[in-house]
Amino acid sequence: MIISDNTKKQIDSWIEKYPQGKQSSAVMEALKLVQAENDNQLTSEAIQAVADYLDMPGIAAAEVATFYENYNHKPVGKHIIRFCHNISCMLNGADDLITHLETKLGVKTGEVTKDGLISVKKVECLGACVGAPMFQIDDQYYEHLTADKIDDIVDGLK
Amino acid sequence: MASITIEIDGNIVNAKAGERLITITDREGISVPRFCYHKKLSVSTSCRMCLVDIEGVPKPQTACSTPVSDGMKIHTQNEKAKASQKAVMEFLLINHPLDCPICDQGGECELQDVAVEYGSDVSRFSEGKRVVAPSDIGPLIQTDMTRCIHCTRCVRFGSEIAGIMEMGGTGRGEDLKIEPFLAEGITSELSGNMIDVCPVGALTSKPFRYELRSWQMASADSVARHDLVGSNLYAQTYKGLVKRVVSGDNELVNETWISDRDRFSYEGLAHENRLLLPQIKVEGQWKEVEWNVALDFAIKGLNKNALNSRKAHKLGGLASSTATTEEFYLMQKMLREIGCENIDYRLNVNNLDDPIHLDSNIKLSDLECVDNVLVIGANLRLEQPMINLRLRKAQLAGATVSALNVKAFDYNHKTNHSTVSPNEIATILAGALKVILEKNSLEAPSYITNINPSELSINLAGKLLNSERSVIVLGEHVINNTQAASIAQMVAQIAKQVNGKTLNVTSSANTLGAQYAHFLPKSKGMNTNEMLTADMSAFLLLDIYPEYDFHHSNSAVEALSKDDVFVVSLNSFNNELVAQYSDVLLPMAAMYETSGSHVNINHDMQSFAAAVKAPEEAKPAWKILKVFADLLELQGFHYENITQVSEELRHQKIYKHKQDIAIELGKKSPAIETIWMHSAYHSDALLRHAKSLSSSKIGQTNSASMNTATAKELSLECGNTYLGVPVVVSDSVADRCVFVSSNQSTDMGRE
Amino acid sequence: MNEVCFKNIDKDQCWSLETYEATGGYSTWRKILKGEYTPDEIINELKTSGLRGRGGAGFPTGLKWSFMPRNAQGQKYVVCNSDEGEPGTCKDRDILRFNPHSVIEGMAIGSFVMNATIGYNYIRGEFMEPFNRFEGALKEAYAAGLLGKNINGSEVSFDLYSHLGAGAYIVGEETALLESLEGKKGQPRFKPPFPANVGLYGKPTTINNTESFASVPEIMSKGGQWFADLGVENSGGTKLFSVSGHVNNPANFEVSMGMPFSELLELAGGMRNGAKLKAVIPGGSSTPVLTAEAAMGMTMDYDGIDKAGSMLGAGSVIIMDESTCMVKALTRLAHFYYDESCGQCTPCREGTGWLYRVLKRIMDGKGKAEDIDLLMSVQEKIMGNTICALGDAAAMPVESFLRNFREEFEYYIEHGKSMVEK
Repeated sequence: MIISDNTKKQIDSWIEKYPQGKQSSAVMEALKLVQAENDNQLTSEAIQAVADYLDMPGIAAAEVATFYENYNHKPVGKHIIRFCHNISCMLNGADDLITHLETKLGVKTGEVTKDGLISVKKVECLGACVGAPMFQIDDQYYEHLTADKIDDIVDGLK
Repeated sequence: MASITIEIDGNIVNAKAGERLITITDREGISVPRFCYHKKLSVSTSCRMCLVDIEGVPKPQTACSTPVSDGMKIHTQNEKAKASQKAVMEFLLINHPLDCPICDQGGECELQDVAVEYGSDVSRFSEGKRVVAPSDIGPLIQTDMTRCIHCTRCVRFGSEIAGIMEMGGTGRGEDLKIEPFLAEGITSELSGNMIDVCPVGALTSKPFRYELRSWQMASADSVARHDLVGSNLYAQTYKGLVKRVVSGDNELVNETWISDRDRFSYEGLAHENRLLLPQIKVEGQWKEVEWNVALDFAIKGLNKNALNSRKAHKLGGLASSTATTEEFYLMQKMLREIGCENIDYRLNVNNLDDPIHLDSNIKLSDLECVDNVLVIGANLRLEQPMINLRLRKAQLAGATVSALNVKAFDYNHKTNHSTVSPNEIATILAGALKVILEKNSLEAPSYITNINPSELSINLAGKLLNSERSVIVLGEHVINNTQAASIAQMVAQIAKQVNGKTLNVTSSANTLGAQYAHFLPKSKGMNTNEMLTADMSAFLLLDIYPEYDFHHSNSAVEALSKDDVFVVSLNSFNNELVAQYSDVLLPMAAMYETSGSHVNINHDMQSFAAAVKAPEEAKPAWKILKVFADLLELQGFHYENITQVSEELRHQKIYKHKQDIAIELGKKSPAIETIWMHSAYHSDALLRHAKSLSSSKIGQTNSASMNTATAKELSLECGNTYLGVPVVVSDSVADRCVFVSSNQSTDMGRE
Repeated sequence: MNEVCFKNIDKDQCWSLETYEATGGYSTWRKILKGEYTPDEIINELKTSGLRGRGGAGFPTGLKWSFMPRNAQGQKYVVCNSDEGEPGTCKDRDILRFNPHSVIEGMAIGSFVMNATIGYNYIRGEFMEPFNRFEGALKEAYAAGLLGKNINGSEVSFDLYSHLGAGAYIVGEETALLESLEGKKGQPRFKPPFPANVGLYGKPTTINNTESFASVPEIMSKGGQWFADLGVENSGGTKLFSVSGHVNNPANFEVSMGMPFSELLELAGGMRNGAKLKAVIPGGSSTPVLTAEAAMGMTMDYDGIDKAGSMLGAGSVIIMDESTCMVKALTRLAHFYYDESCGQCTPCREGTGWLYRVLKRIMDGKGKAEDIDLLMSVQEKIMGNTICALGDAAAMPVESFLRNFREEFEYYIEHGKSMVEK
């Protein structure tokens, strides 16, 4: 498992933010970057590679990789739709919209579309409650969703 | 810390300001339940079992973390405290399986014990219980993680004490799972302590699995004899067999930890190769006989070959360094009584003409207080794990550690590794000594006047001079260094110059006991190597396996196998080679089966009693030797028990062989240097027969490491063998050197 | 309205340095760089202002800053908690998006008071837009010579960096945040010691919420008393309220503390479709739910909401109309805490799952009459017994939903279906 030079450079720019010897502070970003260049997924080898790069025990990196939500340990789609189903979104009809999305894509939450393009996840509060119902696709938030709006957004994914 | 008074459950208690409450309740014998707290590990507070009520504090507080202050009023048993404790207990039990009847921890389970007092008879939890898939973490530890209560003692043990974080908590919330990363399992040389610290049956001893209930076993205090520490431990026995070994407490020796080799070596006791019956060789055929017949046969043979014809100088007595002090003592006493001075325990030393002389003058507990460590020729983690554990503490507390080794070994603390050939060590030390003498304005002796100290020498000298409490550790790899004696002397001089201490771990097991028992040749006697090349007529051997034990294993086997040499072997194990050269085989008791003592590096003679009787006809060697002496009609062997032997030898001073020798720096070998070490779990006979240890990652170690250039010079690559050992090419090895760590016998052309 | 954190919200490019400076931004920081302030003067101003921690705990900020051992040897840190994630809460996101320089200046002022030369803003991992805005603002501030070492020869140094999370609500707990910032799992630490003594990398650390930091520059430039007078007794200043749920105009509103709830509801456009108000969670999902009656009579300040039986928390007002099934709402919240529990300590790890499973069973039509008492008992046993406040946060909704809407739970258990949903 090799981390690309470009990714190493980006990891290094995070390491620079922390005091000397505290490079493991960069582990969360390093894992994200390595995940991004490996089909959005973290294998054990990838976690070990990050641990080695940051000079920390493999298990310590694995603890981080399995504690936080945003790391994937199973194959996922090119785009991940993270649909909030917490209270404010729920009050605004998120459940029905999730069903709508599932039907549209022919997958259940937690699954990947057959073409490997889209994963759908039901997630907890994303901190945009006044824009409920909302979801996140990759790094982008989409708020005040309706069935029509969802159709437009999803149809635009390539 | 200021003295204060606090009130616990209405009683006035003295304490120091800032002390943690649980330390005080433990000291005062006030029972506060706990699972995650362990006196040798960092505080976690995660189990919440030790919640108590403190007046003026709205929420209950954990006793393990709360620093006390003057006048604090604590209730460990009032309604509020009890309610919290019972709440925690209920939460701990909802997902804990009800498999106590098949759990190995049953009867010694902290959860079970506390549940009796704080738990409820009826569970209100009617949802499905959590099930956690077990993970295979190696041959020593059995996991049943469904039972895990997430106290993280094992995780903290790994990162804080063992120095290698192997267990961790992955996932979060209810899915938090204590497990190692990847499939490599647990590789620490101290891993078994995780079993001891686990309060439940999540981590249990794999070799002991489903064997017995703890209450069925008797527990005997004992002392480990595989290294110079002599860790205190308990041998737990059932129907005459050692079933499990757990650690004992002794702050001056092993604190509360033991190494895996001390914990699991007992498995060797039940090995099928145990020698169980006395045997004699008649016309080339082995015959099992009664003890009196075998002893008679042995006496007759010795008389004929060595004694009646006044050839006691042609008799040799050799013993394994794992013998008890009493065994060493009785054997040398008997041999000397019959006029034999050929006595030695040093089997694996190439050059006994210039032996190593270096005192160990620092206590184990002081090792963690040093501020500078220089290790020469040792892979301490595996060779002396308990000593390494103390030195690691010193390092974490700020000590600098430097190592001069043939290979940059995997130390578990911050070490400045200098990878050097054995050839260079003497010169490096001479350079350092020169710098130190100059600094102390002392004249340098002639052998170093021409030395031009290298940067490394100057650096090491600087560290030694700048420290107040240095220790120099001389390790086992030096034992066959061509300049070993000079190295040892220079170490002693350097230490003296910097007011430092020395620790001599060039030999292990009970070698200090052998020295106290005078199990060494005095004036006229021959040492091991001389015996092997002399024209001998008889040998008396105590638990010796030449293919592993001797440096010159081939010539040893040859010498012992001569037709006209009569060999009496007291052995705990039998094998083809032993049967080939021996004329009499006398089955002896092994570790845990005999009483005696072991002298550790603190120079403490630690006595132990037999935990079990030896199997079948095997007898404690001290008894065999005593009867032997009686049959030889020798005086002074009227011992009724082992204590009388111990008392007699207790007054002896350690035997020091020769005084200073002339230091020479010239002897350098032009050849490629090979350092051959048995892998950590093959260093004595009992360990070699302990199956689980042998199958562990450390036990499987079998490699001849060399760097790329050396491999090229030897025309070797990965996949080849060197002296029969698989080659590993690694640039962490010094140039023109090979470091062998092998679980094989050494009889394949080591020289 | 919109007098502090949101004062520039209607301006074009309100997040730019230009806009910020045009309305007096960085004036306090520049004075500090010129040596015109002492740390004590700043602390006193903050104490006068009545600013209380906006992350939810409501601890007086001036007092907190005074606890820092500013003269202790060695590195000290100032950390901003932008790991916003409590259901109902989304104000810090808007501060970072629309007024990032106020956070930078607030942190810089804090760093001077605490004698900390390094700061980190921990931004939740999903907030990429706010992160980018903040990073852009940092670049502007560095370029303008407002940050760095020995800034303009002032002998004042402050280096500020942003750090990104990766998805874990618990990291909003300040000591979990420090663990996470150190590259570990976000598990809260036990206290004492508190971060002021043993914080980031074991060094003294002050950690405040985004809104708290963002309020500091305006307090300093207009005065503590001015800020205090915006609010009411014990609740100085304005506060951002995130109003979400069944309202016509869900949004963040910066209003004066002490505003009647009914007025806030009007600001948010009133009840959607003219429906009847049923319940209000006034301070984020972990604060106790209130009945419509209790809510309509309260004022939006610490004491006012306390009097009504709940807490101001982070000012996250979740409005529920009569169509809301309270069993479903509570189950959703219970799932949240079950999912977000870090797993470290026993009552939370085991208890949150237990609560959720019982509620789920009720939702599945398999509830038992004794379940209500069981839920009450379990939440009671979590309450107060955990390392951090997540345990209490999981317990409080259960207690308040069951207390205020018990009949809906009884109905669900008895009939296997919701009392209000069709």
